[in-house]
Amino acid sequence: MRRVGTVAASIVGFAGIVALHAGGSPSLPGAAAPPAPVASTPGTTTPGTTTPGRTTVPTTTAVPVTGTAAGTSEQYGYGALAVKVTEQSGHIADVSVTSLQTAEQYSQNLAQQVIPMLRSEVLSAQSARVNAISGATYTSEAYTASVQSALDTLAAK
Amino acid sequence: MIVHVEAVMGTMFSFHVEPGECPNREASAAIASACTRLHDLDAIFSTWKPESPMSRFRAGLLRLDEAQCEMVHVTALCEEARTLSKGWFDPWAMPGGFDPTGLVKGWAVAEALEILRLAGVKAAMVNGGGDIAVLGSPAKTPAWRIGIRHPWRAEALACVLEIDGAVATSGCYERGPHLINPKDGRMMFETASASVVGANLAVCDALATALVVADKEGPELARNLADYEVYLVRSDGTEHASAGIVFATESVC
Repeated sequence: MRRVGTVAASIVGFAGIVALHAGGSPSLPGAAAPPAPVASTPGTTTPGTTTPGRTTVPTTTAVPVTGTAAGTSEQYGYGALAVKVTEQSGHIADVSVTSLQTAEQYSQNLAQQVIPMLRSEVLSAQSARVNAISGATYTSEAYTASVQSALDTLAAK
Repeated sequence: MIVHVEAVMGTMFSFHVEPGECPNREASAAIASACTRLHDLDAIFSTWKPESPMSRFRAGLLRLDEAQCEMVHVTALCEEARTLSKGWFDPWAMPGGFDPTGLVKGWAVAEALEILRLAGVKAAMVNGGGDIAVLGSPAKTPAWRIGIRHPWRAEALACVLEIDGAVATSGCYERGPHLINPKDGRMMFETASASVVGANLAVCDALATALVVADKEGPELARNLADYEVYLVRSDGTEHASAGIVFATESVC
């Protein structure tokens, strides 16, 4: 995310709350695009049934590795997904979704929209060197967890 | 770095722990204790389990003075957040009765991190479905770097923040309209995403929701939050950041 630094430079130094590009054209990439269509059912707000505590074994990850590993199948709000991760010299080179089950039509539509984008989110989050992402819930958390389990498997090889 | 992921409260909680001088075995034991605590809290607060104390409280089958101390504590936090948010976060105004869900996950993350701290861990991050609390800083870097999810593009980050304490982000982008204005019942807002950085993640979590539903009044509300820093993205793409928000600089990338 090369633009991050630009935004930072623009904002630091302003006192109080500042509005960047106020009244002007959208400043965020994708701002002009309509929000993704999503279901409007109140009551889907609270977390659904919790899956039995699947856990990855705590693993120390230090040595750069090269290889491919399958992640565990992860439950999210409306189904389950699993990914495969290819790592080269300690960097994620590719992520692909190996299985996707969704409970209902709405969820299928949402998942199909979100998951191809999440693939590059993992890659771009890595390039931005972040420790975590705030605001990503259900689907992306399941995706991240599956990626993490694949990385743990690679680290243990 | 020890990494652990736990499925609880309908989402994933991840732990990143730099054991430091704390032996690996003890750090792992602390993570296990924290996970047990999270499952216990889920059993108390789940509004999906009819037998949970929270469900029984909502149904009028349990009084607060006979409930677990956690219920009393969370209710007090809800009152604090309602006051701080000038009523924009109001668990008492939810359809179906008192619902502290908007604050419980953040509070649970903070509880989990506290268990690690008491065990002697010097640097750790707990992430519960995007609500994040941190302790110390990761090895060889000055601060934990947290990407803020871009509200319209799941593959992108709106920005990267360096945080001390905690951060929570709220918005309608991923789960659809699920936030409700407690004052008029509206569910569509021109604030696409709100992130709050501060010491108390339970309050950050509640305030992030409050700032979205406060909508046009969000920036004004943010200006009056003395101990919390705010980053907002409005639906026209404009961003607002309070003075204490620390954006990660290009040189660190």
